[in-house]
Amino acid sequence: MDRADIAKTLKSPANWGQKYSLWAVYFCTGCGVIEIPPVITSRWDAERFGVLPMATPRQGNLFLITGYVSLKTMGAIIRTYDQMPDPKYVVGFGSCPVNGGMYWDSYNTIKHLDKYLPVDGWIAGCMPRPEAIFVAVVHLWQMIDKGMATGYQKYKENYEYYERNQREILPHLPKFSGERTEVVGQTL
Amino acid sequence: MSGQTAFTLILPIAFGSAAVVYLSGKISAALRNFLAVFFAAVPLVLLTALYGYTGKIVYYDLSFLNQSLILRIDAFAWYFASAVALIDFLAIVFSLRYMEDKKQLDFYYFAMLLVNAGMLGIVLSGDLLSFFMFWEIMSWITYLLISYKGGKAVAAALKYMIMSIMGSCAMLLALGSLYSTCGTFDISGVAEGMSSATPGYRLFILLLMIFSFGIKNAIVPVHVWLPDAHSEAVSPFSAVLSGVLVRMGIYGFLLVMFVLVRWNAVLELRILGLLDFHLVFCWIGAITIVVPTFIALLQDDAKRLLAWHGIGQGGYMVLGIGLGTSMGIAGGVFHTLNHATYIALLFMVVGAVEYRTNGVRDLNELGGLAKKMPITFIGGLTGILGLIGVPLTNGFVSKWLIYKSLVMNERPLLAFAALIGTWGTILSVFKFLHHIFLGQLPQKYNNVKEAPFSMRFSIITLSLVIFLFGIFPGLPLTVISAMLDSFGIIPLNPTLFGVPSTLGELNTITILAAVLAMMVIGYAVFAWARKARRTDQFDSYGAGAYVPVNRYQYSVRFYERAYEVIGPYIRDRIDEFYIWFVEKAEGFFDTARKIYTGNVNSSTAYIVFLLAVLVILKMWGRF
Amino acid sequence: MVQQVISMIVLPVIALVIAVFFLGLSRKITARIHRRHGPPLYQPLIDVVKLLTQKENISHGTIFDLGIVLSVAGGLATILFIPAGGLHPLSSSGDFLVVLYLMLLSPLGLALAAGASENPNASIGVSRKFILALGYEVPFLLAALAVMVHFRTTSLVEIVSLQRESLLNWSVFTLPLPALATFLVLPAMLSIRPFDFAGAPQEVASGPLVELGGKYLAFAAIQGALHTYIVLAIFVDLYLGGGANILTFFLKMLAVFFIGVCINGVMPRFRVKQALIYLWKWPAIIAFAGLVIVMWTSR
Repeated sequence: MDRADIAKTLKSPANWGQKYSLWAVYFCTGCGVIEIPPVITSRWDAERFGVLPMATPRQGNLFLITGYVSLKTMGAIIRTYDQMPDPKYVVGFGSCPVNGGMYWDSYNTIKHLDKYLPVDGWIAGCMPRPEAIFVAVVHLWQMIDKGMATGYQKYKENYEYYERNQREILPHLPKFSGERTEVVGQTL
Repeated sequence: MSGQTAFTLILPIAFGSAAVVYLSGKISAALRNFLAVFFAAVPLVLLTALYGYTGKIVYYDLSFLNQSLILRIDAFAWYFASAVALIDFLAIVFSLRYMEDKKQLDFYYFAMLLVNAGMLGIVLSGDLLSFFMFWEIMSWITYLLISYKGGKAVAAALKYMIMSIMGSCAMLLALGSLYSTCGTFDISGVAEGMSSATPGYRLFILLLMIFSFGIKNAIVPVHVWLPDAHSEAVSPFSAVLSGVLVRMGIYGFLLVMFVLVRWNAVLELRILGLLDFHLVFCWIGAITIVVPTFIALLQDDAKRLLAWHGIGQGGYMVLGIGLGTSMGIAGGVFHTLNHATYIALLFMVVGAVEYRTNGVRDLNELGGLAKKMPITFIGGLTGILGLIGVPLTNGFVSKWLIYKSLVMNERPLLAFAALIGTWGTILSVFKFLHHIFLGQLPQKYNNVKEAPFSMRFSIITLSLVIFLFGIFPGLPLTVISAMLDSFGIIPLNPTLFGVPSTLGELNTITILAAVLAMMVIGYAVFAWARKARRTDQFDSYGAGAYVPVNRYQYSVRFYERAYEVIGPYIRDRIDEFYIWFVEKAEGFFDTARKIYTGNVNSSTAYIVFLLAVLVILKMWGRF
Repeated sequence: MVQQVISMIVLPVIALVIAVFFLGLSRKITARIHRRHGPPLYQPLIDVVKLLTQKENISHGTIFDLGIVLSVAGGLATILFIPAGGLHPLSSSGDFLVVLYLMLLSPLGLALAAGASENPNASIGVSRKFILALGYEVPFLLAALAVMVHFRTTSLVEIVSLQRESLLNWSVFTLPLPALATFLVLPAMLSIRPFDFAGAPQEVASGPLVELGGKYLAFAAIQGALHTYIVLAIFVDLYLGGGANILTFFLKMLAVFFIGVCINGVMPRFRVKQALIYLWKWPAIIAFAGLVIVMWTSR
């Protein structure tokens, strides 16, 4: 870590902040989240990397898609991702976001996450160990330093592509249909 | 215009204008509205000419009693008269649009101007008979105005009237007693006569008068008429009612405790030889602060919530006045004016919301209206800031004076009651503001517009007054200081921005400078960061789900946990007691009525029985 | 005069530095209690820099913006009136009663911003915060009134100077019961565990902070830090004799804060009703007893 490198900090304080204060949205998307509590508690202390779990997407800038993504969860993931402020980073955690993983032939999971959301990095494994998360975080820092962690910009620039794919699998999402409902808890 | 002419004109114009406005209503509504506003403004203008003037006028001679009816003006009367004229003028301006679709408007404007004239008469009267006469005029017109809407309002007005009549009877008794002891109705004459009275007699007169004025001012335990009356009256009249009409009771307290029976005489009085009278008075004030303020927490009707606050804040005035030090009395009297401004403002805000949402005042039905009615929201925010007593508002200065004098006179339990009352106020008025203006806007109010100009005028004027007197408290405090001088109490000698440093540390201009400087610095940092993008209420956090329309507002049972703890203890047991008492009395009278059977036989039997009793007594030698 | 202007500029800066340092210190000490390393002491600085330089901020309107700015401005304005070991630029314009009510501007600003968030989680958080405030104000006011009546003044500068002569003059020794009562409610005033339910991430999705991101969250974090500073400063001024200079003042605040963090590190969270009953029971009884003793002895 080069947190205390003052010269580098002064050159780009924004990068310094983005790197060493990655706040993950604590949205447990799938079974992979079972590895997250050990990461944020005492044994594999994530706080020393600056990574904290945050309750709402407004406060978060890292989104870990942990485990398989079912169709219904995809609606919530899209909504949460849209609510996060820029700059935001998405990390696919586990094999399932990469290529469907264990559920490669299931009728209601997403096989290739990066058709619907811009993903900055992947962690392979089923599940990956906590140390793998830290390797991913350090890798993300290097990408931020080099200006390569630009998923959020890709999302804005290629929004039609992503929107077309999202609409294909979730046509009734209120984001597309514009309907508003009185039902509490409606995700689709 | 000289002071003498202004003083001669003020009451005749006030009373005459009521009749003129009623008659002009027969010609055209626009003429009546214009004349109502004009004639409500005239006493305000005349009073500005009367600043600093003292004088007396004899306006009627009762030669068969050797008495004359007198009007007098000094700092004391001028202070209350200005408050009355200002609030009434703004309420009439407010009613121009608020009342436009109601019936019998000629009568309404007539009554509003008449109640204005009655209150001016009360504060300007120089002898007790005119005082009583104007008091009765005001009370009766209040009854008619409270019951204006019909329906539940009539029952509320009846409750008010019964209690007001009880108070007036007590006052009449005290007046008659004073006339027979002192031989005159003139206030200065009565004051002289009372200076040589026994302490027992003074206590008797004080208790009668305090009972009567306490009913009007709604102190515990005679406050029960106020919540119903304020919620059922039309909003502009609620503003007048809670702003200045109930404070005629405070005027009466000051009159009887400082002018008729001088304060050093009051300080010596003891109840049952044990308790200091003025301390008992203070404790009544303290209880009036705490219990009604916490009952206000539980209310769901906006106007009822404000009405309970009206009762609670009256406790501050009673507490300040009962304490008797110059800072305490100044605080209590200043709080009267301040409370008039912010409670009138808050009732007008509720009135504006009612007007635009077709009569909704249930707090659980509203929400998010700040986006549609921003000026009304600012008025509501200023009103609650004043009611809480945030620094830079006038409410803070008056409360600060009361707290400081309580602490310096070593009355910490009373100070605690006052301070915890403020916290109860903070909770309940935040609920008031939040439920009406903040949170999710229900779709049925999507087309609500801002309040019309006449309503905005009154709201903005009162908001400016709240901040003006908060930043320049010296302006009203100078008048209060002159008032204290006329009572024979050490005057306060305030500075423009606070009190002299020998009395305490308060300098409002420095507080203003500090807050403004920090706001500027904070906003500079805020603006330097990236400009924010605006989202609407449907892009709010919903745990990945979409925000349900019309169901995303937390307002029902807002302070649920606090209700669970204090709810069982905070009930208006006094109201329940009165209702129980009335029912028992009704039962008793119903039974007693059965003596009159309407049957000739039983009447004859009663007569024979009575004759028999008389014969026996005569034979027994009893008479 | 010049000295006053200098202290007016220096005091908010010192207060901000101390406040942000306390934020980082609390995270480090909590981590060590949990037997892990924890973030560096300057981690809150990294967080605030990240939040302020975020590329996109999301707002719900003017009230949202102005409420957040007011919350920080109110905190900074209050700090100018509280003596901090010799620095008290504006205390001749406002005594303790003024400070008690200036302290309201900052939570009120945050409550307005939370209300403007149009989210029921924020409203629940605000209602919990106000209920908590009602709870701790009862014992706190009783104890503070005991101190004011004992010293016969409402000015914090005088209260500090009257405790100056010797260690045994500190109110914690001369008025033990009010000091104990205030210490028992100190976690509630600082909104740390067991009383942090107002902004609980798990229960109410961070309460008032639910829709705050970017610069808004930075301001809210600074507001929280300033509030901690203000509460600790008042406690030290009332009960621990203030400070002869800013360094001793800071050390006393640090001592009290350390004990608070230790309590925060090991306690779970109260439910709202539990907290209210706790605050109104023993601390209030102890404070009331202390007040009665003061009233008795001052006759």
